[in-house]
Amino acid sequence: MALVPLLSLVAACQPRRDPDRLIVASRNRIDTVDPAGASTIGAMQLLSAIGDPLYAVRSDGSIEPRLAVALPRTSADGLRVVVPLRRGVRFHDGTPFNAAAVVFSFERFLAIGTLSYLLGDRVLGVRALDAYTVELRLRKPFAAMAQLLSAVNLTPVSPTAYRPYSRRQLSNRFIGTGPYRLTFYTPQQQRLEPFKGYWGRPPANRGLELVSLSNSTALFGALQSGEVDGLLSSSLEIDHQVELQRQVQRGRLRQAAGPALVIVFLSLLSDQPPLDNPVLRRALALSLDRDRLIERVSQGLYAPLRSLVPPAVPGGTPQPWPRYNPAAARRLYRQGGYCAGRRLPLELTFRSNVPSDRLFALTWQALLQRDLADCVELRLQGMETTTAYRLLGEGAFPLIVLDWMGDFPDADNYLVPLLGCQQAEGERCRKGGSASSGSFWTRPGLETELQRSATLSGAARLALVRRIQRQTAAASPYLPLWLVKPRIWVRPELAAPRFDGSGRVLLQELRRR
Amino acid sequence: MSRPGRLLRYVLARLALAPVMLWLLATLVFLLLRLAPGDPVDALLGTRASAAARAALRAQLGLDQSLLVQYGRFLLKLLQGDLGLTLTNQQPVTEVIGQTLPASLELGAVALLLAAVVGLAVGFSGMARAEGRVDLAARLYGIGTYALPSFWLAMVAQLVFAVWLRWLPVGGRFPPTLLPPVGTGFYLLDSLRDGLLLGDWLPLQGTLRHLALPASTLAVLLSGIVANALRLNLRRAMASDYVEAARCRGLSERSLILRHALPNALLPVLTILGITVASLIGGALLIEVTFSWPGVAARLQEAIGQRDYPLVQGIVLVVAALVVAVTVTVDVLVALLDPRLEF
Repeated sequence: MALVPLLSLVAACQPRRDPDRLIVASRNRIDTVDPAGASTIGAMQLLSAIGDPLYAVRSDGSIEPRLAVALPRTSADGLRVVVPLRRGVRFHDGTPFNAAAVVFSFERFLAIGTLSYLLGDRVLGVRALDAYTVELRLRKPFAAMAQLLSAVNLTPVSPTAYRPYSRRQLSNRFIGTGPYRLTFYTPQQQRLEPFKGYWGRPPANRGLELVSLSNSTALFGALQSGEVDGLLSSSLEIDHQVELQRQVQRGRLRQAAGPALVIVFLSLLSDQPPLDNPVLRRALALSLDRDRLIERVSQGLYAPLRSLVPPAVPGGTPQPWPRYNPAAARRLYRQGGYCAGRRLPLELTFRSNVPSDRLFALTWQALLQRDLADCVELRLQGMETTTAYRLLGEGAFPLIVLDWMGDFPDADNYLVPLLGCQQAEGERCRKGGSASSGSFWTRPGLETELQRSATLSGAARLALVRRIQRQTAAASPYLPLWLVKPRIWVRPELAAPRFDGSGRVLLQELRRR
Repeated sequence: MSRPGRLLRYVLARLALAPVMLWLLATLVFLLLRLAPGDPVDALLGTRASAAARAALRAQLGLDQSLLVQYGRFLLKLLQGDLGLTLTNQQPVTEVIGQTLPASLELGAVALLLAAVVGLAVGFSGMARAEGRVDLAARLYGIGTYALPSFWLAMVAQLVFAVWLRWLPVGGRFPPTLLPPVGTGFYLLDSLRDGLLLGDWLPLQGTLRHLALPASTLAVLLSGIVANALRLNLRRAMASDYVEAARCRGLSERSLILRHALPNALLPVLTILGITVASLIGGALLIEVTFSWPGVAARLQEAIGQRDYPLVQGIVLVVAALVVAVTVTVDVLVALLDPRLEF
């Protein structure tokens, strides 16, 4: 009690704020602002405001040239891609943007990028054809080149500023071409000032403060008290998200949701008993009451998912995995030799530091106990994320909950990491995405189809992606569960925010009404 | 040997053992980190990337070398005072510690100061009438604050003073709309300097507003320990023969307490404060996490999750070295104040 008067005294000094400078909070601590090192959602969000990639994905999924002026032109053999660049653009330090800057940025990313495989797996080299044209030489034809070049990690940086850092990261400064300049950086806070020499439409606000608070309660409280103007949903607890939704309905807050690009799914160890039996995998696919699970886990905030490619990405519909059908599931368990006095024991591993995983595991266990108790018995095991990822490729988990978000919105980015297989024995994948994702499933011809899918475009590609999905659903090495949409909540005095097609808030559009 | 000589020998022995202890600790942390499943590549990439890409990143981070080679490099650098670069963003570890340690020390120092003032006042308040209402309240305060879970108190304080009353910020160390003061990394000192030299008091106000809630919460939690320790030791001292003898000589109660009982009762409190200081150097994790305080404990927790080997090793070593320094200082201080202690 003695400290209360002291607190009230300190509280009397409320600082004034510029109403046109906005504060946006999230749980994202940003350890690096170097596109070569960025790998977290928060860093990507920040880089999308202070840098420009060559292309961007619009909210309707179409491609918009940003630092490029037109879509890439591909050679007849599909192995050379030419990108014409925008003229008259300058970096924040005044260096002109040109082909040499793109070559420098891409070569730097290939040399030191944490996610260098994004480019390195597909691109052999890059060169300037003239001052405003670059050419990329590909390892093999790749149709979704514009989508790949929309990845934030490939944001061009100023060669002048980054030359001393061509072989190491520059984690606390950023010199790009984006609508904002980064004028102050700590991992917990970044200050963004409008870039006066920006080539595009100037920001609608006078600047932004991006702050990181380390727990969901603090974030929720900060928006409630008006201490911050906006709140990004990543890592916000479900209870808080649901309450924020309620306040949106009451008109106390405004909200926007981006395209659902994060998929949550179960990976089934398909090369070892008991789940090497496709009948049992199919039975499990029919045992998932997604609507009920989502209701318990997210109170309806997540959307049920029955495909590996999100519906927002071309090829994501129709969703071929089966709906909940306990009667059909029981028939398949019987066919597999269970139910008649014998229960299928399965160990489900969940990531102990992901709250929704735990809730899912407990709820599914209870639902199976209710509807299929005589056929299947789920045993739960929690494990810290990093440990689980290390053991995943060793085939340690019969059944594990995982999530995935492609580095850019394209079907290839969801299918290859989960189904790709460079070395197979029949239906067993020994090396590749399928093995490192803990399923080890493949089928003859699948890898060829995946590689072909990367070279096709238009209707032919859609048809192939749908076929791959259908055939994978029939084998059920993975069971898609739900989709997570990124959200932002803002104070009612702000105009409604918007997301781009890559799931990032358009921070430059945030403004007071 | 004279007492000062024995004390000097004791201090030198402690200081001589410190490097050995730190080497053992460094080795233990080095090994334990690498024994834990998963490495920085697993933490950075999750399930992303092919085996070849993961191997390339491991090589880029120097994790493809044998454990012995990695250990040799680590020790060699350590001897040169180089704690290496973080694996997550290749920032010098010393730089990260330089940014986070002052935050923890500042929070700890202010909290300890408040805790000492409140704790001593509460502990002392029961002396007027033993077993009276004030004494009972002081005892309850001591037990209550000692038993309170720190995260619960922190969240309640946050809810009441930041969200409901809107008096103070929910978290962070400095107002996001201002630029933090540059200098020692201790914002309180730096902003006070700016206020005095430049007449700009806004940074100091901002620092105090952000410091108020976490420091008060931590102070409340610590003050119970101080209050109880003082209360018990003061009571014991008041019942001792030398105080009784002084009382028989006709000294006033005030003089008995202040001149005879209190100095002796404060010695154990000083030891307790020393231990508390040592524990606060490593940061108060739950308070830092709840109030988004960018201190060394919160950073260490993140670094462990990221398997950032050099950063974990660096933080543990620097904090351990400081703890050694503080405990030796407290030992010397107590020895100087208490002539009964032998070495």
